[in-house]
Amino acid sequence: MDKSTIICRCEEISLEEIEKVISNGARTFDDIKRLTRCGMGPCQSKICNCLVAAAINEKTGTPFHEIPLPRMRMPISPIKLDTLATNSTTFSSVKSVLDEVELEDGKVR
Amino acid sequence: METSYETIIIGGGVVGSSIAYHLSERNKGGILVLDKKFPLSGTSGSTQAWVWVHNKTPSWYAEFSMYSAELYPYLSKKIGDVEYKRTGGLSPFFNEADREKALLLAKTYESIGIKIKVLTREEALEKEPSLNPEVAGATYSSIDGNVNPFRLVDRYMRAAKKNGVQYSTYNKVTEIQKLPGKFMVVSQKGTFQCKNLVLAGGTWSRELGKMVDITIPINQLRGQILVTEPLKPFLNYTISGLRQAFNGEVLIGYSMEKEGFNRATTLEVMQETANLAVHYVPSLRKAKVVRAFSGIRAMPEDGFPILGRIPGVENLFVAATHSGVTLSPLIGTLMTELILDGDTSIPIDRYSITRFNNMETK
Ligand SMILES: Cc1cc2nc3c(=O)[nH]c(=O)nc-3n(C[C@H](O)[C@H](O)[C@H](O)COP(=O)(O)OP(=O)(O)OC[C@H]3O[C@@H](n4cnc5c(N)ncnc54)[C@H](O)[C@@H]3O)c2cc1C
Ligand code: FES
Repeated sequence: MDKSTIICRCEEISLEEIEKVISNGARTFDDIKRLTRCGMGPCQSKICNCLVAAAINEKTGTPFHEIPLPRMRMPISPIKLDTLATNSTTFSSVKSVLDEVELEDGKVR
Repeated sequence: METSYETIIIGGGVVGSSIAYHLSERNKGGILVLDKKFPLSGTSGSTQAWVWVHNKTPSWYAEFSMYSAELYPYLSKKIGDVEYKRTGGLSPFFNEADREKALLLAKTYESIGIKIKVLTREEALEKEPSLNPEVAGATYSSIDGNVNPFRLVDRYMRAAKKNGVQYSTYNKVTEIQKLPGKFMVVSQKGTFQCKNLVLAGGTWSRELGKMVDITIPINQLRGQILVTEPLKPFLNYTISGLRQAFNGEVLIGYSMEKEGFNRATTLEVMQETANLAVHYVPSLRKAKVVRAFSGIRAMPEDGFPILGRIPGVENLFVAATHSGVTLSPLIGTLMTELILDGDTSIPIDRYSITRFNNMETK
């Protein structure tokens, strides 16, 4: 692969950028992701995942089976907020900031 | 790699890296940061990253947060672009009854120099036209904003390294020995010696405390965030609950769950978070979520930062806090003063670990 090869198409991240963060100590896909945004695009690393593993293997010699996979999370493919929402306006674990303002004797604490 | 340092910092998240950077501005060389993984693998890599002040309570904590927010523009000049944007912060409310509370807040905070406006429905909609027209009002302050946490930690690290700070990553500290005038820090990759030791282990602070026989009362509190596809810039402000990043993505979430170190995302909270989004900003209905993540807050038992010296152990320091993104410029500045000058320009006694009476050495 050429240095200018685009590894992450969604975020347009080149091999060069990835090699740079590996030489700064990044060792896993997630380390690289946080530093370069590689893998944060719409495909959520489905395309770039293996190429990044190859770059890690190439640069550090870490065998493939020892390179942790990126953490897969919902949604597997993009989903509209409308579809996800249930339209309830009662919240249990989601808070509103103003609710957290505490009053004491009719004054803000 | 050298084995002897003036100062060792355990933890290279936003807190530890800010301390390392600020220390290195005055004290070239002799500083080592140890991290069991790579910086950003902890809480600092899974955060909303609002630089948030205006409805923190009590007022002395809001004031402390304000001083830190004030440092951001200068900090970004020094360490490079961290995508800090002082957008102003908007906290909408949907019940007229909340207005009274909001007005009380505004009145109290006027005295400490935090200007809060309590907006009417019309004013709120004029400022942020995408808000739900059913909004009753909002509190607003120009001091709030947000930052890119990845860039922030990366820039702290780079600037620190440039000043001679060493980072040893994927290197877990397993044991700490206190000897006269020095500490021996045992890690996976070897033993290091230092005069000053700073514990900045975030959610793992209790574990680090145990190594020196003290209790650092930090608990875990999970938060889940939804991230949308990049949208045309349309949100003018950081809204408490959601913000639009530089690249157009909207980050949504303000959830709290006691789930220990479990970093899973759950459908239930994702749905509640989606409800929050469409309740606040109805046009987000059409936006697609591309990613969800969760992070574990390092939450001190009483919610406030734990900062300063650890009494009874010479040259041992702790910095563990929630809202570490907001507070990192100030914490780095003050911990540096404490370590090098023995005193701080802004008092931090209130944040001392001594306030917890269960902290006694064993
Ligand atoms: C969902 C969510 C939203 C948030 N929103 C905001 C916000 O809007 N604004 C804000 O200001 N704050 C926010 N926060 C809080 C903020 O992100 C944290 O306060 C901050 O990141 C804490 O930084 P830290 O450096 O203390 O912790 P971390 O980033 O976790 O760093 C601690 C480091 O210590 C290392 N470590 C631990 N133990 C050892 C050991 N034994 N040996 C070596 N290394 C070790 C870890 O590897 C880790 O890298 C949010 C948090 C969450 C979870
Ligand atoms: S190619 Fe990397 S996120 Fe899609």
